[in-house]
Amino acid sequence: MDDMKKGISRRSVLAGIAGGSAVAMAGITGFPGILKAQEKSLKIGAYGGYFKDSFDKHIFPEFTKATGIAVESIAQPTGEAWLVQLEQAARAGQAPADVSMISQVSMLRGSAAGIWAKLDPAKMPNVANVIPAFINKYDDGSVCGVGAVTWYITLVSNSDVIGEAPTSWAELWKPEREGQLGLLALVTNSFLLDVTAKTYFGGQEILDTEEGILKVMDKLAELKDNVQLWYRDEAQFEQALKSGEIPMGQYYHDVAGLAAADGYPVRSTFPKEGGINDSGSWAVSKASEKLDLAHVFIDFMSQPEIQALLSRKVGTSPTIPRAKTGLTDAEFASVSSEIEPIIPRYDMYQQRADWLSQKWTELIVG
Amino acid sequence: MSGLVFDSIEKKFGDFTAVHETSLTIPNGKFVCLLGPSGCGKTTLLRMIAGLEDPTHGRILLEGNDVTRIPTHQRDFGMVFQNLALFPHLTVGENIAYPLRIRGGSKADCFKAVKRLLELVQLPDMADRPVAKLSGGQRQRVAIARALALEPKLFLLDEPLSALDAKLRESMQIELKQLQQKLGITTIVVTHDQREAMTMADLVVVMSQGKVHQVAPPVEIYRKPKDAFVADFIGMTNLITGRVNGADQIAVAGGVLLADDVPASGDVTISVRPENIRLAKDDGANSAGILTGTVSYIRDLGASIEFYLDVSGQQITAITTPSDRPDVTAGDRVSVSFPREACVVLGDA
Amino acid sequence: MKLKPQKFADYATIAFPAGMLTVFFVIPFGIMIAVSFFQRVQGAFYEPAFVFENYARFLTGFFGGILGFSIGLAALVAVVSVVLAFPFTYILTRMSRQAQVVWLVFLLSVLSLSEVLIGFGWSTLLSRTAGITNLLVSLGIMDKPMSLSPGFGAVMTGMVYQTFPYTVLVLYPALSRLDPSLVEAARTLGSGPVRSFANVVVPALRNSIVSTLIMVFVFALGCYLLPQLLGKPSHWTLSVLITDQAIYQSNMPFAAAMAVFLVLVSLSLVAISLLYGKKEHAA
Repeated sequence: MDDMKKGISRRSVLAGIAGGSAVAMAGITGFPGILKAQEKSLKIGAYGGYFKDSFDKHIFPEFTKATGIAVESIAQPTGEAWLVQLEQAARAGQAPADVSMISQVSMLRGSAAGIWAKLDPAKMPNVANVIPAFINKYDDGSVCGVGAVTWYITLVSNSDVIGEAPTSWAELWKPEREGQLGLLALVTNSFLLDVTAKTYFGGQEILDTEEGILKVMDKLAELKDNVQLWYRDEAQFEQALKSGEIPMGQYYHDVAGLAAADGYPVRSTFPKEGGINDSGSWAVSKASEKLDLAHVFIDFMSQPEIQALLSRKVGTSPTIPRAKTGLTDAEFASVSSEIEPIIPRYDMYQQRADWLSQKWTELIVG
Repeated sequence: MSGLVFDSIEKKFGDFTAVHETSLTIPNGKFVCLLGPSGCGKTTLLRMIAGLEDPTHGRILLEGNDVTRIPTHQRDFGMVFQNLALFPHLTVGENIAYPLRIRGGSKADCFKAVKRLLELVQLPDMADRPVAKLSGGQRQRVAIARALALEPKLFLLDEPLSALDAKLRESMQIELKQLQQKLGITTIVVTHDQREAMTMADLVVVMSQGKVHQVAPPVEIYRKPKDAFVADFIGMTNLITGRVNGADQIAVAGGVLLADDVPASGDVTISVRPENIRLAKDDGANSAGILTGTVSYIRDLGASIEFYLDVSGQQITAITTPSDRPDVTAGDRVSVSFPREACVVLGDA
Repeated sequence: MKLKPQKFADYATIAFPAGMLTVFFVIPFGIMIAVSFFQRVQGAFYEPAFVFENYARFLTGFFGGILGFSIGLAALVAVVSVVLAFPFTYILTRMSRQAQVVWLVFLLSVLSLSEVLIGFGWSTLLSRTAGITNLLVSLGIMDKPMSLSPGFGAVMTGMVYQTFPYTVLVLYPALSRLDPSLVEAARTLGSGPVRSFANVVVPALRNSIVSTLIMVFVFALGCYLLPQLLGKPSHWTLSVLITDQAIYQSNMPFAAAMAVFLVLVSLSLVAISLLYGKKEHAA
């Protein structure tokens, strides 16, 4: 039951929508002006469900203890729903949350719309730890987001049904996998274009042109018969994976690890082409009046010991080099891999958003 | 056995007995009224004939055949419901043709039958009207025509005229009776209106509280009521209690009355219709069958005159025609004579 | 003196629903129509403008096919729900008061289930590993368990399951008001129970049936979670795509255009069926 909850709500859309409306309400009734008069506090958005629960339990109390800043944590949806709410609220001069954890495509989109506050690295010495790839910047070079956590989407399988662990993403295309796969339903969260490009086209460069993308999609279309479930909601697939109903697919490495730890016949494999490495960044809404406190928070979160704590307690992979974290081999293996990851072409997802979503929908619906 | 026979029929709804054990024979071709106050079980009895209620026990026989367990739709009895139950989505013609269409009748046959039936109920050329556009009386006739479409063995009507105004009701009563005579069909009508029953019925079944009190032609019901309930329910009457005082004598307050069929002994109730009582100025004479009283009130209705009398503490009503009006006024002492043939000794209810 | 307050009360009773309608329907719908003409800014959000490109993009064979499927699915769900719920409700209204209350409470509790619960419940019930086919196998009716979800049958099952209690509750008042003597009359005229149901009860309540069909149709048209949870991508409805556009692509103008179009299509379908019903009634 506990796992179910984690699964349902971690990056879940459904809980997200509910969480989003709750946030909208909070935005209306929160009266930021009144809050100002109170002691130092910060509203922080985290993905509703397992993420938020873990942060509430293990991370935020540490922060409050260290800085004296109270945290009001807010359940936020993933994907773009939260972005839309932040954007609408910003137009009205309000901030449903001061700091939020934002996905990469949303970070780009938000930058284009200019809704993020500019951050000052000088006020956050620990941010120097963060791997430069995980720092989000405006076109003018100013920082607008700092890598919070990263996670992997890997090739998962039910060990009762699939005897031998698959070693390559190419496994998804094998004819004997007919009706056995569960894949994420959206172009922007499955990153299957990147996977296909890396597996069959020698790298993600082919995604530079529309022509190349269409070629990749043609290849991807070949596995349609193998797909039993295109899922938007994680719990839907997790349940089927555990029972063996749908014995293979793509899934979150950390959640699969939790399921395995609970005794389910679930295994997560980093294929030789690499796991998909996705990440969330801390970003501050322009409408927030607590930029100073936000700096303190982001700095705190970028400390090596806190990054290690996140890996141990929340199951995410660090955004700073492994060497600085002090994680043991076993601890690191449970959240990451030495195999070079597939980093999604976020730029493509942002620049060709409408065209991609149209083609993608035609691909899987048609 | 010919006709419709109830053999120890009883109907209970849970703990409530709607019809107590009843045995009854209704001869073929008769017009029968089930008469009684509301809640007396008459409608339940009719619905059991139609098969809309199952008797708790007992049998119903038609021409010697047990029909008790035959489903309603296989009984082929025509029935007119209290609210008529015309199908609102069908026209007059379609309503009447419904039972024929159910049985696979051809369009031409149905058309002919509808025409004939509409003429029978005096509504020619109405076949294409929607039911909603009919007057109360017209709806009544359509319901009758529909029930008769199958030329049923039994024609059942549940308070068919209760929705009509008084004047229309009276003329429909006569029309219905004529129709029944023309068709010679055994007809059973439920009514709470004794005038209606008197007008139409060959045989009246008087019921109350789930029991049949008397089964007889209307005039007999009126003249020779079997018990106090029937005497009181049908028309006006004076109920006088007394004690048997000889072969044909009954001692009552203020004197002795004469009657036929007097039991050997005990307390009895006598029914005397008001129009049979004669009044005269008190001449001091006193004999059996004549009592003395005081006029307390006179009600002159034009066609008849009602005298309210106090006879030794008992309220007695007498009615005379204007031509027979005795020369008395309120407060007068009068002699009240009860003719022997007018005094009906009642049985136990 | 007496007339005045009466009139005021009259206005007040109209004013409240009218106000609610304005605040909760007219204004949001107006905003949606306005947004549907806004300019989408790819990679960001949208800007106020007056352009038709959101509609133009939508008017393609691909979306036409999905619209057709959505309407067909909603219509089929409405028909199946009413076909199942009508006889059920008829029997229900003829039960004892106590039995009716028990059933209605049960149906209300089903109605209170969220689409998410219904979707997950049915995907388990229709699964190969834990589903009802296992029961059929143990009864010897099937050879081996199979997966019935996702698929069209699963979408239909889930949606009918969701709309059924709603349908019953909409039909219930009309059926319980139905004069029982109509059926009795049909029986005395020679119709068996099934026949009298078909040729008296159904036609007598034709108007209720049509309005229930329309309500369930509109209800089903807005359903976006069950086709996602129980269907393959080819069973996704326009509502699913609207959700995708609004939530995942933050393409509000396009989502609004699709939604406006969907509302217009369903409104015109409702209008057509009402007109048709009226004509039929007048004939």
